[in-house]
Amino acid sequence: MDLAVEVSNLTKRYGSLVAVDDLDLEVKLHTIHGFLGPNGAGKTTTIKMLIGLLKPDSGLVKVLGQELDWDKPSLRTNVGYMPELPKLPKYLKGVELLDVYGRMFGMSKEKRESQSRELLKLVGLEGRGDDLVGTYSKGMQQRLGLAQALLNEPKLVILDEPSLGLDPIGMVEVRDIIKKLAKTDITVFLSSHLLNEVEQVCSHITVIDKGVALASGSIEEISSKLKAPLEIEAEVDNLSEAVIGNLKKLSFVKDVFEDGNSLRIKLGTREDVRSEVSQAISSGGGIILSINLKGGSLEDIFLNLFAKNKGGEQ
Amino acid sequence: MMGIDQSGWITKFSAVVRYELLWNIRKKKFYGILIVAFALTTLALAGSHIQSAITGDPVELNPDFVIDSNVGLGGFGFFLFAIVTVMNSISGEFESGTIVPLLAKPVSRTTVFLGKLFAAFLTLLVTYSFLMIYMTIGGFLIYGPQNNLHLVPLSLLGALFSTLIWISIVLLFGTLFRSSLIAALGALGIWLGTNIIGSIIGILAGQGWILTYIPGSGNSGSVGGNPLVGTPVSTGTDNIGPNLINYILHPSWNVTYYKIDLIQSSQGMPVWEALNTELLSTVVLTSIAVALIYFIVFVTISWFVFRRAQITE
Repeated sequence: MDLAVEVSNLTKRYGSLVAVDDLDLEVKLHTIHGFLGPNGAGKTTTIKMLIGLLKPDSGLVKVLGQELDWDKPSLRTNVGYMPELPKLPKYLKGVELLDVYGRMFGMSKEKRESQSRELLKLVGLEGRGDDLVGTYSKGMQQRLGLAQALLNEPKLVILDEPSLGLDPIGMVEVRDIIKKLAKTDITVFLSSHLLNEVEQVCSHITVIDKGVALASGSIEEISSKLKAPLEIEAEVDNLSEAVIGNLKKLSFVKDVFEDGNSLRIKLGTREDVRSEVSQAISSGGGIILSINLKGGSLEDIFLNLFAKNKGGEQ
Repeated sequence: MMGIDQSGWITKFSAVVRYELLWNIRKKKFYGILIVAFALTTLALAGSHIQSAITGDPVELNPDFVIDSNVGLGGFGFFLFAIVTVMNSISGEFESGTIVPLLAKPVSRTTVFLGKLFAAFLTLLVTYSFLMIYMTIGGFLIYGPQNNLHLVPLSLLGALFSTLIWISIVLLFGTLFRSSLIAALGALGIWLGTNIIGSIIGILAGQGWILTYIPGSGNSGSVGGNPLVGTPVSTGTDNIGPNLINYILHPSWNVTYYKIDLIQSSQGMPVWEALNTELLSTVVLTSIAVALIYFIVFVTISWFVFRRAQITE
């Protein structure tokens, strides 16, 4: 088994609305897989079918090698799930909630206690575990939602918009936690509409719209398939207006972004034009410390996909 | 997986019970109804002292006070306790969205449903036990040594059984409509229908036998004469406890049902027309059978609906 999630021909309808339409999806083990799409694309509906909260109308779902059956609790033993804006029982204290959920996972008392302590610390709720969840702010409930998703040391974690409702510091912290997970054996399936977040933490993505997968695979593969324009990233000493001016004169340069000594040059071509760019920088007096060719940004991929999809509809 | 064992059903079931109990004991409305119940019980205990203060007559000792007063609990009390205990149990989970993280755990919906039902039973068992102990000690202190105290647990059992019927009704509405308000109002509608409208139909039209087969206070009869002079007996599921105790103390009692003769009564005092008579044992058995059937049917429907529920919240 090298797949954490395997979905084929999955369909879910709400009356006449087709929320998920004949969807195919594969999430490889030990990867961080982004699930991208605009609001209402069918992301949460798909996730709920993976967890067994919604019953598919048709199609096959396998999670960690087990075929989904309606209300099959054993399927969720090694899965952690953080819902979008998680609603947790406000009458329970933070530690009580983790303790009760831990019991449901069949964890020993010692394990429940140690995991609760560690996770509350990890999500920044240390010292608030004895307060009722009802007294937590939205951001704190979001953090507790992440803690309960990691409680059972899952093999697969499904995170539905984990940064929603968090302040900028909270968003960075959540991203750091996901990056830490990437260094373990855990597979993360991350649903988000924040391209920046997905770009920073995910190695693979699936883009979905109107319940249909538009593309799936590693970011490089998709970028290459879509022929998305490339980017050059360079570290330059003696960066001056003359350097920027020279670069902008190049016909294949679409835009130049400057941040201290760093340059990000958006290209209108998929050719390797590093030598021409180097020449333009040097002739402006700049000293190149490093220069790298990169695949298209996720934003480019996303816009490209949606433009194609729209074109296909017309 | 380190620290995880494939634990059995009991562990998961007790986790759900704990989850629900922690929720139940922190509900403000639960404490509200508990205070009202203790206030009413205190009022029942102090009744004769209040009467004595008004009339000047001394308070008489009554060795049957505890048993005769059904330890302070009755029909509307059962209904109210059922409402505050389970009106949010399932519908509240849907309304607040807490159903999503709960059902994402490796616990079957059947376990969640049964755990919630058992937690409601435990909550009521503890609450009713406290009320009954309070009533028993109070009765002993105010009315002297009490007879038949060994029957108090039977009264407790009857009270629990009677409340479980209302619990099954509240759960049914809550599960079908996913709304705590509809759960409470739907059950209230049934309570009003069976207790008020039903009683009127029973007394005036003589069709009270119908009430024997629906939950609530049931048909009204009496032992030893018409309802004005005899001992009143209600046949419904709300009266299983008192009827069981009466049967143990008076196994040969016959219950006679009456209706008011409207034509003759219009000329003066109410005139009662006897309709039929049956053994108290029949009344007890019928009410237990009716309670069991309704409980099983309502709980089964609720379980079936909950098990198949699509979680769109």
